[in-house]
Amino acid sequence: MEIRIKNLNKDYLSDGKKITALSNVNLTIPSDKIFTLLGPSGCGKTTLLRCIVGLEIPGSGDIDIGDEIVWSKDRGIFIPPEKRGLSMVFQTYAIWPHMNVFDNVAYPLQVRHEPKEEIKRKVERALQFVQLEGFESRPATKLSGGQQQRVALARALVPEPKVILFDEPLSNLDAKLREETRKELRSFLTKLKITAVYVTHDRIEALSLSDVIAVMKAGRIMEIGTPKEIYFRSEQQFVVDFIGRTNLIKGRVVRVENDVTLVSTAIGTIVCKTQMGPPVESSVTVAIRPEFVKVTAGDGGKERNTFRGRVESLVFIGEAYEGEVRVGDTRLITKIAPTANVKEGDEIGLCVDPDGCSILSR
Amino acid sequence: MVWTRKALTPTLIVIVGFLTVSPVVMLLLGSFSEGLGAFGTFTLEKYVKSYTDPALLEIIVNTIVFIIGSALVATALAVFMAYLNTRTDIPFKVLFQVISIVPMMIPHILFAVSWGLLLNPSNGLINLVLKQILNLQDSPFNIYSLPGMILVEGLLDLPVSYLIIAPAMSSFDVSLEESSKVSGSSNLRTLFKITLPVLRPAILASVTLVAIRSLESFAVPSALGMPGRIYLLSTHIYRIIATGFAADYGMAAAVGMSALAASVTLIVLYRHLTSESEKYVTISARGYRPGLIELHRAKIPLFIIVALLSFILIVLPVLVLLYTSLVPYSMVPSLKAFGMMSWKHWVAVLKDPISLLSLKNSLFLGVVGATLGVTLTLFVSYTIVKVRTTASGILESLSFLSFSFPGIVIGVGFMWFFVRTPLYATIGSLLIGYIATYLPYGIRPLSSAFIQIHRDLEESSRVCGGGMFYTLRRIIVPLLIPGIVSAWILMATMFVRELSVSVVLSRPGNEVLAVQILRFAEDGLWGRLSALGILMIIASTTLAVLASVAGAKLTKVRKEG
Repeated sequence: MEIRIKNLNKDYLSDGKKITALSNVNLTIPSDKIFTLLGPSGCGKTTLLRCIVGLEIPGSGDIDIGDEIVWSKDRGIFIPPEKRGLSMVFQTYAIWPHMNVFDNVAYPLQVRHEPKEEIKRKVERALQFVQLEGFESRPATKLSGGQQQRVALARALVPEPKVILFDEPLSNLDAKLREETRKELRSFLTKLKITAVYVTHDRIEALSLSDVIAVMKAGRIMEIGTPKEIYFRSEQQFVVDFIGRTNLIKGRVVRVENDVTLVSTAIGTIVCKTQMGPPVESSVTVAIRPEFVKVTAGDGGKERNTFRGRVESLVFIGEAYEGEVRVGDTRLITKIAPTANVKEGDEIGLCVDPDGCSILSR
Repeated sequence: MVWTRKALTPTLIVIVGFLTVSPVVMLLLGSFSEGLGAFGTFTLEKYVKSYTDPALLEIIVNTIVFIIGSALVATALAVFMAYLNTRTDIPFKVLFQVISIVPMMIPHILFAVSWGLLLNPSNGLINLVLKQILNLQDSPFNIYSLPGMILVEGLLDLPVSYLIIAPAMSSFDVSLEESSKVSGSSNLRTLFKITLPVLRPAILASVTLVAIRSLESFAVPSALGMPGRIYLLSTHIYRIIATGFAADYGMAAAVGMSALAASVTLIVLYRHLTSESEKYVTISARGYRPGLIELHRAKIPLFIIVALLSFILIVLPVLVLLYTSLVPYSMVPSLKAFGMMSWKHWVAVLKDPISLLSLKNSLFLGVVGATLGVTLTLFVSYTIVKVRTTASGILESLSFLSFSFPGIVIGVGFMWFFVRTPLYATIGSLLIGYIATYLPYGIRPLSSAFIQIHRDLEESSRVCGGGMFYTLRRIIVPLLIPGIVSAWILMATMFVRELSVSVVLSRPGNEVLAVQILRFAEDGLWGRLSALGILMIIASTTLAVLASVAGAKLTKVRKEG
């Protein structure tokens, strides 16, 4: 089901100060996709999620879920959370400690007074789906973090909702389990053909899990796009910086060709691939991801986007070296293959793919 | 709905404020009045009279020695026991659990009396035995003395002290000790140079709390101090209002003011120390439990000491009471004594209308008082934990105010109030006095129950489709029941054995168990006292068991429903 959010605003009063949690948010969440709200803590992503589910009442605006208006300030409509027919997985999982696994999962069906056999069948299927078959009579307090997470997921899936909301559901798991669960979650959700709205501050989680990402900052949606578009093609410094490590180099546009723009910077002229570059003479910032800064065997020569620098530091991080190379007065972060024959103090040549250079507008 | 929610906090502030502030105000006004009859005419006469009394200096010295002594005894024992339990390989660790909880079930007045029965100078059982064996003229021990009182009060407060020391001892970072041992220190040197200094805030907190409790204590000073003519502040106040020709409530209030001031000072100190100790003790969340210290040859002797302590704390008082209730007069246990056993005292108690009335009254106060008290604390805890406004902060401070009130002083304050109302000398006056004094004991388990109900648990039920009442019935109430049950048990057992508020507010017609037991002690009717004492233990245990069974049933029904 499609979720449409129009002109949503929400203010808080905290210690007598007005804090803007959501500022004129307009958003359409496509149906049957995994949609992620990504942003630093306090950017309003959880508030937005809680407005959608009905646990928070916005100050103004409209929210439609499918064909139903669930909130409209102007028309005076507010559907309470229990009537919206959504499911949600909480950050704390919210597994009720006084019930066993069966009762926890069966709860949404018991609320609807479904027949006992039907409940039993559906709970069994949901538990099977999250690979917890046979755990029905286990008390909720006797579950590990990962198992609690699965029970919460089963409880969200069991009423067969059209929309599931996730509030940072993986942040309480340890690193290895988080990675595994992320993959599972992705395959569960793709199999089910369901609209998922997922809130996280973890960029890797957002990139690997989502079909569409919306990056938020200070109550505003900054940019919406597929993970690749957000990672490679964003033109906003905040988004580029937040989504991954990046080199930001200031410069001036010297020439615009049909699909590339040439920018003069402190390390030399950088050729960037662009559709519609900014006009000549405008001041811009060029963003280059470390993985696009490659070490070249030769001295770099006279080809486009080649530079020479000295390796200032080299840190082995497992799958690669992270190197800082000084070109003139500018430091470039680069990823160097662990097999490369490079050591600190070496003079090396660098080459940057124009595809990996983007020009930031703001 | 909106109106009731808005009105909740102010309403509670009014109720709790009345319960905790009014006795203090009345005490203050009363101390400047001429007497219960002449209320409102300002006079300093009572202060002059009470603070120029030459006996007062000795009373104050006695009180200070008593509270410091019992604080040191209780804390030293608690440190010893907590160290053995958390850090060594001493056997039968279940015993420590028992020691930390069960003695709270034995009423203090009975514990004190049973020590009197064992060690009083004229016919204490142990004294009689020793005189017989060693062929002595005089009794070797006299429990009716300051050291005797300190020992008994220290033993009574051992569980409280243990509950502060043991968690601190088990949660502190063992690597502090390990690094001392790596540097070449022995176990014993590490204990005195590292462990105890690091635990200093917890130890100081325990000393302060026990000092507060022994300042408030009335059972030990009355049962063991008064027979030996050793008076403390609490028994001095009691003497002013309950003995002699004319009870002087103005003077009692004037003396009470200084007891109250001392208690409030100690509470402030205690609060400061506990907030400090949280900063001090380093709790590290590591899954690694260090190896326990092996006691080797010291294991058996140390265990015997612990076993003896638990015998003294739990078994001995009950045993002495049972024995005394069956023999005709104090005599050394022997074949002859067993031959002379009879139900005489039991029959006398069961035929005594005042004893029966006191049993009925105490049961009523236990059941009704705990139910009302829990209902009030349920709302108060909800407001403190979930509403969280400036007003609820005021409510929290108000409701913990009475934690620092010595019962007898608050009783005197209420006396000044009740004498002006039709509640005077009714069971209702006791009901109000009890709830006011023991409010914090109900708030503690209930607020931790409310804290346990994370907002997500409620919200998740609503997202699942459960409306407000459905959520209340299936999520909130079942999660609260364990807290409600333990608050009810705590209050009910405290009310059944309540002494210090009752000695002031209990009048002919509203007698309660503990006061009747004190009367028997004053009249030397040890047999009847013991029989009634055992009835008291049975009454409070029955209430506790019934409540926990009901609680277990309720949670089970909710689960299936």
